[in-house]
Amino acid sequence: MSLSKASNKANLKWLIHPKKFLFFKIFVWFWLTVIGTIASLVFLSNIATNQVSNEKLRGPMQKNLEYTAKSIERSVTRHKKSVRDILSHPRLAKRKLLYLNSDQPELSLSSQVPPNEVDLSLLNFTKSMEPQVIFTEHYQAFGPIKVNVPEGLFYLYEINVNHQTPFFIRLKLMPIWLKILIALLASLALSFVFSRSLIAPINSLKQAAIALANGDLSARAKIDPQREDELGVLGRDFNSMAIQLERLLSAQKRLLADISHELRSPLTRLKMATGLAQMQTPEENQTYLLRIEKEANQLDKMIADVLQVSRLEAKSQALSLHKQSIEVIVEHVLNDAQFEANQSAKQLIVNGQLNAELNCDEALIASALENVLRNAIKYAEHTIHLTLQQSDAIYIEISDDGPGVAPENLTKLCEPFFRQSDARDRTSGGTGLGLAIAKNAIIAHNGSLTLHNHQQGGLCVQIVLPLDKH
Amino acid sequence: MKLLMIDDDTGLCELLSEYLTAQGYQVECVHDGEQGLKQALSQEYALILLDVMLPKLDGFEVLKQLRQTKLTPVIMLTAKGEDFDRIFGLELGADDYIPKPFNHRELLARVKAITRRIEHITSLGNSTANKLSVNNIVINLAAREAYVDEHPLSLTGTEYEVLALLVKSAGEVVSKEQISEQVLGRRLASFDRSIDMHVSNIRKKIAEFNITERIKTMRGTGYVFIQGE
Repeated sequence: MSLSKASNKANLKWLIHPKKFLFFKIFVWFWLTVIGTIASLVFLSNIATNQVSNEKLRGPMQKNLEYTAKSIERSVTRHKKSVRDILSHPRLAKRKLLYLNSDQPELSLSSQVPPNEVDLSLLNFTKSMEPQVIFTEHYQAFGPIKVNVPEGLFYLYEINVNHQTPFFIRLKLMPIWLKILIALLASLALSFVFSRSLIAPINSLKQAAIALANGDLSARAKIDPQREDELGVLGRDFNSMAIQLERLLSAQKRLLADISHELRSPLTRLKMATGLAQMQTPEENQTYLLRIEKEANQLDKMIADVLQVSRLEAKSQALSLHKQSIEVIVEHVLNDAQFEANQSAKQLIVNGQLNAELNCDEALIASALENVLRNAIKYAEHTIHLTLQQSDAIYIEISDDGPGVAPENLTKLCEPFFRQSDARDRTSGGTGLGLAIAKNAIIAHNGSLTLHNHQQGGLCVQIVLPLDKH
Repeated sequence: MKLLMIDDDTGLCELLSEYLTAQGYQVECVHDGEQGLKQALSQEYALILLDVMLPKLDGFEVLKQLRQTKLTPVIMLTAKGEDFDRIFGLELGADDYIPKPFNHRELLARVKAITRRIEHITSLGNSTANKLSVNNIVINLAAREAYVDEHPLSLTGTEYEVLALLVKSAGEVVSKEQISEQVLGRRLASFDRSIDMHVSNIRKKIAEFNITERIKTMRGTGYVFIQGE
């Protein structure tokens, strides 16, 4: 649940903190590079080009045009007609739009009146060129071919208005804003695809790593098996690591279960045999048998505690969650604790009250509280204070007036089998696992258990349990 | 009184049968699930002690197959601390469970609590027509049978006892502690869900014939059998 929520949040996070996301960095840098390249290319090509583009005229079209030029020259000399007359002759005029450009603009002629959008003056700059195919936005022109007549020197062009300009030329002739927009969109899409292909496996690795850390041992990174680059190798190595980890942990789990079963079988027999012996032994010899029974019980409790700690630490303890009033749990624990405190002539003072429903494994929470309280009762001089508070979370504080704990040992106190005195005296009873169980049980409920020394001396244990939000 | 013990720990079987024989029971032991199931189906026992981890057929499977035809009382022997085991066993219709390693006195108390009922029937005989009837549920105390709208319910011994207790005190709240002490013969342990499991099984069985909710849960206290409509 919490995992999917977290990933949902992470989906939007890149909008707020783009710098924290490699994807964003790669994407932006790559995109900027592509945009930069395109921009400089466009800039350079823009210096050279204007609204006109051209390529060399070759083949039959050139021959044809030269022939037309010759025939105009010939007609002018032979029939003594003006160029204008010859050009407006239906034989020429009907067929195509011919344009005779002169060095003096007012003398320039055309066989037909060109359509409005056709701007023939664009051709003025091409007069000095070899015969070309000239593309402009609205027409295509072939020429120039020099026509030498008595009226002066003309340059002949054949104009093709209806011609579709070839794709690349059209591209070249596109308005600059459109060019930039297309380049921008294309590079955006490219950069996105590129950076995604880099980041997707990393994200998949990240998610698998988080899931593994949270105890989902079957989590694997989704890596394309065809992928042979470093990321592909890394992903596959990660997966084989996860497989190894799963195997080891399940082997360990099985070992724990086996140990518990194997140790308990002889223990059960031992208890049974003791029972039989007790039935047949006269009253005065019972003490040793009672002692055997007590030690067997202690051993049993230790096995149970060790198993519980290792299960909790490996997070493999499947919590059996129920809605339970925290008040009921505390009351339940307090009944026994009050009794125990009275037995050892100490006072247990309770302040505050709780009334909340908690979705929890009640037995685990109860055992955590029980362990902490028992510990406090054991070490207290006279009184134990239990403070209950409730706001956005449940706060439980248990403090005693005992000797407290050396500051350097505070953090070690929750380690299994840690004992303050090096002598490891067991006169105080207990298995040395109480606080370890308590801490792990609270952590399993997303809470926290912290220890510190009271100013007046004595240990203070603070437990915080988050309340479910509805 | 004949008991059947199904456990692969032969050493424990020997000790236990010696102990229970001394207490006046007759104990037969088998060491695997398959053999155990065969024995349990072919003969009549007052009680079956069933281990969970068994070769060939595990304890749950034995219980499941046994319950298809027989309601012989079953006490499951489970590993301590395995919460899942217990709940699952009770769901399948076990009468009670006892965690290993157990105390011999505790075991004896449980065995007695369950076998006591059988002694109770034999002492009653079939002569007295002792019947309880509340709403559409009829309890035949002599035959130890329960009926919903004339349909017989196939209840395990423990389920029958729980239902009978609730019907006897219909209209009153019966606490889980009371049920545990009177039916299972033991004090209710902290956060023990076994009574809830038995009640849930009874509800399911009643609902097969009549969906009217008869047993109401009183939060934190216990259960009440509703009298009247």
